[in-house]
Amino acid sequence: MAVVIPGLKMVIESESYMDAMHAVLTNKGWMTMPKYRLAGMTAAAFRFTVNRRLTPESPTAYNWVAENFLAADFIGVTAGSDAGFRFDAVFPLYREHAIAQIKRAIDSGIGAIVWKDRFVVAAGYDDERQSLFISNGVSEELEELPYGSFGMNASPYWYYQVLGNRIELDPMEIYRESLMQAIHKWETHDPMLPEADYACGRSAYDAIINALRNRNYDRDGMRTVTRAYAAAKRDIRRYMETLELCWPQLKRAASHYASVELSFREAARLAALDNELTEEANRKLIRLFAIAAQSEQSAIDVIKSFMRETIHIRKHDIALR
Amino acid sequence: MTHVSLKGLTMVRESKSYIDSLHAILTAAHLYDGPKYRLSGLTGMSYKFSVHERLLPLSVTAYGQWGSEHRPAAHNIGLFSIIDAGRTRHPTFRHYQQEAVKRTKLSLDQGVGVMYWLPEFGVIDGYDDEDRVFFVQDGWSSEKQIVLYDNFGLNFTEFWYYETFGRKVDIPYEAMLLESIRLAITDWDTPYKTLPHKDIGSGKLAYDFFVRALEHGDFDERGAVYILNSFIQSRKEIRAYLQEARGIWTEWDHAADLFRQLADLFPGMESCMIAAEGDKRIDRQKTGELIGLLRAAQAIEDAAVDRFRAVSAAYPDRKRSIVPRWGVHTPK
Repeated sequence: MAVVIPGLKMVIESESYMDAMHAVLTNKGWMTMPKYRLAGMTAAAFRFTVNRRLTPESPTAYNWVAENFLAADFIGVTAGSDAGFRFDAVFPLYREHAIAQIKRAIDSGIGAIVWKDRFVVAAGYDDERQSLFISNGVSEELEELPYGSFGMNASPYWYYQVLGNRIELDPMEIYRESLMQAIHKWETHDPMLPEADYACGRSAYDAIINALRNRNYDRDGMRTVTRAYAAAKRDIRRYMETLELCWPQLKRAASHYASVELSFREAARLAALDNELTEEANRKLIRLFAIAAQSEQSAIDVIKSFMRETIHIRKHDIALR
Repeated sequence: MTHVSLKGLTMVRESKSYIDSLHAILTAAHLYDGPKYRLSGLTGMSYKFSVHERLLPLSVTAYGQWGSEHRPAAHNIGLFSIIDAGRTRHPTFRHYQQEAVKRTKLSLDQGVGVMYWLPEFGVIDGYDDEDRVFFVQDGWSSEKQIVLYDNFGLNFTEFWYYETFGRKVDIPYEAMLLESIRLAITDWDTPYKTLPHKDIGSGKLAYDFFVRALEHGDFDERGAVYILNSFIQSRKEIRAYLQEARGIWTEWDHAADLFRQLADLFPGMESCMIAAEGDKRIDRQKTGELIGLLRAAQAIEDAAVDRFRAVSAAYPDRKRSIVPRWGVHTPK
C-alpha cells in the first residue's frame, strides 16, 4: 500500500514546529490564515528559551509533547503524540505504534508531524518500500524515511504528532488565551529544563547578554538561535498588528514588538556573518538584545494591563485555563 | 463485539490504587507474573510519597503529573502503554473522550483491562454496547461501578485519565533494579511535584509536611489515617522488594537493612491510630509520639536513599544526563 497526500509541502519560515503544523493544517483545509497568526494563536511564537551557551538546540529545547499538544489544543484541534529516547528499551514497541499512527493519519488525508532533526511533515508512505515520505522544507522533493530509521536522529529523541479533529472556537477567545500564555512564558521558567543551563522568557535575554559579554557561547548555536527567534519575533509583531485591529488598547504592545523585531533582525544579520564576531559586532549585539529586552518587557506590560482581570482570576496559576 | 467482560481480573485495594489496578490488569493479561510488592518496587511506584499540608486524602494520588509519573513506571518493566488525560472542562475533551471510548473497547476486545481514574484509579474490565456502559472495579466493592460511554472521564475531580497497555520487551532484571532506585532517588529529591502549587510536599519533604500538619493540629482526620496507612503499606512493599534482590550490590543490601529498621517503627505508628465512630483517626494524645516516629523514619529513608545513590553512581545514567523533550510541564 502506498499513499501520498497531494500538495502537502512544508516551507521553512517560522523556523520551528509552526512550519510543520501550518503545512498540515493548511493542506487539510482546516486553516486559511497566515502562519504568523497560527504562531501567535498557539502561543508558540512567544516561547523564548536558550541554553546559556546558546547551543543550536535552544529553540527546540522545550517539552514537545506538552507544548505541541497545547498548540493544537489552543486552536481547538485534537492531537495524539509521543516521544522518547531512542536508546530506551521500549522504543521498538513505540516505533511500531508511531508508524501505524502516522500511516493512519495519512490514510485519512492528513499529514503527520515527525522529528527528523527538525520538525518535518510526513506526507506519505509506501509499505512495499517500508518508508515514509517526508517534506522537510529543505529539499524540493519528498525524502524517504525508512520505517526502521524513524527516531534515528542526530539527537537521541524520537517524536511524532498526529492531528485528529477540529472544533470551532471563538477566535477572540483564542487570541485572549494566547496573550495569557505569552505573559506566562515571559515570566516562567520551563520546569523541564535545569535552570543552571537554560533560561526562559525575560531571563533568556539576560542569558544571551551574559554569554556575549563573557564570550562564552557556541558560535553556530548563536547563529541558529538569533535566526530562529528573529523569525518568532517577526511572527509576533505581525500577530500583534492583527490583534490591534480587534483591541486598539494593544497598539502600544504592537509597536513595542515592532522594535523587538527590528533589533532581532539586525542581530540575526550580524550573527549570520561567517567569521568570529569582532569586538564591535559583539558590543552591538549586546546593545541590540538589551534594547529588545526592554521593548519586549514594555510590550508584556501593556498586555498584562489589558489582561488584568483574567490575571486576577487566575492569580494562583495564570497559565491554567 | 457488543458485550465483553474480562474473566480472571480482580482488583483489590491494598497498595496505591494505580499499582492495585496495574497488578490486576497485567496479571490477568499474562503480562506480569509476580507479587504486587515487586511490581510496586520495579515501577518505582512504592517510593512515591506526597502529603498535602492539611493531610487531605487526595495526597495519596497527588504524587505528580500522572503521565510523567506512570510512564517511567511502565517503561521500567518493558511495557508499552498509552496514556491520555487532561481536564474535562477543556473544549476539546469531548473529542478525546470519543477516542478514549474506542480505544478502551479495543483494549478490552484484545483481553486487556484499562486503567481508569474514577477517582482513584480503577480498572475497566468490560463494556456493553447496548447499554453503552463500561464496568469498572474500584477494588473496594465487589459491585462494579458503571460508567456511561457519554460520561467517560467525568468525575468529581477536574481530571480525566485512562491508560491502555500493549506488548512487553524483556529488560534484564538488574537493569530494572537499577532504574527503580533511580526513580526512587528522583522522588526523594523532588520536593514539589505539582508546581506551581506548593501545598503538597513530596519525597523527603512529604515527611515534613506530615509532621507540620500534626504539630499544627488542623488536619483532615480521614486523610491523616489514609496517608499513614498508605505510607506503611508502601514501605512494607519496599522492604520486601529490597529484601528479595539482596546479594547483587552491597549498598543495596545496606538499604534493605535500613528498610527493615524502618519497618520496626510501624507497630508504634499503628498504635497512634484509634478506632472512632466506626472509623479510625489519629489519637490526639499520641501526635507527639507519631511525630517522633515519622522523624525517625525520615532519617532512615534518607540514609537508604544515600545507599541507592552509591549503587547508581557506579553506572552511567543516560536517561538522566540528557535533558528530555517531555515530562514535567506547567499545567495549562
